[in-house]
Amino acid sequence: MSTTPSETIENASLEDRLYTVKYQDPGESHLDVTVPGICASKCKPGEAECVTVCPADVWRQSEDGTPVIAYENCLECGSCRYACSQNNVEWSYPERGAGVTYKKG
Amino acid sequence: MNVLQSREGPPANPNYDHRYDAIVVGAGLAGSAAAITMARDGLDVLLIERGSYPGAKNVFGGVMYTPTIRELVDIDSAPTERYVAERRYSMLTEEDEIAASVSIGDWHEPPHNDSFTVIRGDFDEWFAEQAVEEGATLITETTVTDLIREDGRIVGVETDRPDGAVRAPVVVLAEGGNSLVSESAGLKETDHREHIAVAVKEVLEFPGDSRKIIEDRFRLVDDDGAAYHYFGKGAVGDAFGGAFLYTNDDTISVGLAYRIEDAVTEKISPQDRLDEFKSHPAVAPIFRDARTVEYGAKTIPEGGASAMPELVHDGALLVGDTAGLVLNNGVHLEGTNMAVESGFHAGKAVVKAFGSKATPRPADAATAGTESAGQVRADGGVSNTTRPSVTVRASDLQSYPDSLEQSFVVENLEHYEWLINRVVEDKQLLFEDLPEALADAAAEYFTIDRQPKQTHGRLAKERIMHTVGGLRGAIKLGWRYRKMIR
Repeated sequence: MSTTPSETIENASLEDRLYTVKYQDPGESHLDVTVPGICASKCKPGEAECVTVCPADVWRQSEDGTPVIAYENCLECGSCRYACSQNNVEWSYPERGAGVTYKKG
Repeated sequence: MNVLQSREGPPANPNYDHRYDAIVVGAGLAGSAAAITMARDGLDVLLIERGSYPGAKNVFGGVMYTPTIRELVDIDSAPTERYVAERRYSMLTEEDEIAASVSIGDWHEPPHNDSFTVIRGDFDEWFAEQAVEEGATLITETTVTDLIREDGRIVGVETDRPDGAVRAPVVVLAEGGNSLVSESAGLKETDHREHIAVAVKEVLEFPGDSRKIIEDRFRLVDDDGAAYHYFGKGAVGDAFGGAFLYTNDDTISVGLAYRIEDAVTEKISPQDRLDEFKSHPAVAPIFRDARTVEYGAKTIPEGGASAMPELVHDGALLVGDTAGLVLNNGVHLEGTNMAVESGFHAGKAVVKAFGSKATPRPADAATAGTESAGQVRADGGVSNTTRPSVTVRASDLQSYPDSLEQSFVVENLEHYEWLINRVVEDKQLLFEDLPEALADAAAEYFTIDRQPKQTHGRLAKERIMHTVGGLRGAIKLGWRYRKMIR
């Protein structure tokens, strides 16, 4: 069954995908962790739930396990908030119209 | 007239405090439906949107079901893309596809089974305009950060505006699925990740005459549209969920959604999964030469009836995704129609509560208009008269949960609750083993060689019966899902 002819799809990279969304930087992160130590102690490298679920590569793990938050990538879906079994994600709406602006949602 | 374009006049700092009967948090479908309903019956409504315009923060799959919207407003003026003329349901194994397509002649005729693909940036802005035309005041770029309580009652909202607090007797919470305000105010619990799906979507266009390419690839004429749904391992891997493909006017929307629980336990990254789905041989040729126009993500509350929070509180109501009103039973994926229906019933309940309070209304009611933060329309403005304070208790709003209970919204959620639970239990069988068996059986059944057809038929049947556990297993399975055809 390995002879299926397959169209090779050239998918846009995540970086290119994120470039399609209009974004206004609120100036400070609307995301944070409640207790930084929890991330390092509870989530092994490659195991962090926020990192796995995030569709926008906002959450990354540094070598010592503490998270690095690229909040300017955020699509404001909120999935990290639910994914974290430690309930350690702090989430607030970006204010004054900042953050993502969808045109084709 | 596009009232949302008519922002002019000097920056002002109007005071909204105590000037309105009701505040609606979020100008999405549920919020605007509530605002339209209340404003039409004479209440002064302040509709607050955190995005730069209504729809700016909103993402959905792509098909809007419009029976309630049709009742509320003139749907003919709505910015729809295409009506759904074909619905296709497809099971994907890693390499095979088994599909069923439904095209009904009547769907080509108005009202097109009330099913249209739409772009929320256009649609939600239009829908909020209908609320403004009914007399509601819309302010954008304004974030509600918290609720104000007095004596346990909700009496208004805190905002990021310079003047901060805005008080009104009733607050309608229509803030979407990621309902931070409702949760921090204790009006609902944070949903468990088993009850929440993560969804990603790409809007794609084709180089050249994108509209014509879409019509050719999907066999569409005029405003015909297609709604394709995909299940099984080839769609969402080992997760519980599905993928979708919808045709807009000159773009297509492709995406998928599955439980966050599966995302983290099976380690399935949404954007990687989307790439894999798009590369499946059954769909990949559709995307040839396509270019990404926009990428988006959202969370979907899929907990069903048992995950619904309390809908009314002293001074507040929860509607739409905030109230968990989404139906996903596999075949039906609905949320927007339930959002509108809930907004309508919530609005009616607020009107009723005010009616029974018999408040004397100030003559110079707040004038309708649209404002972004710090801007006010020249002819707009807000009443200078402070309202007498009115107390609206949860018991005054009870007609909202009562009427929602009687509507299709809760009926459907309750009816399909058992189904979701069963399907989750039988995930391996329904989404992996059975599709594989069906594909193998179909391959067997349609084999062209020099054996009699009867032999292939018998082998095909055996392949399926083996997977479902023989005749006993088949009967058991049929019994487990008997309510589906009731």
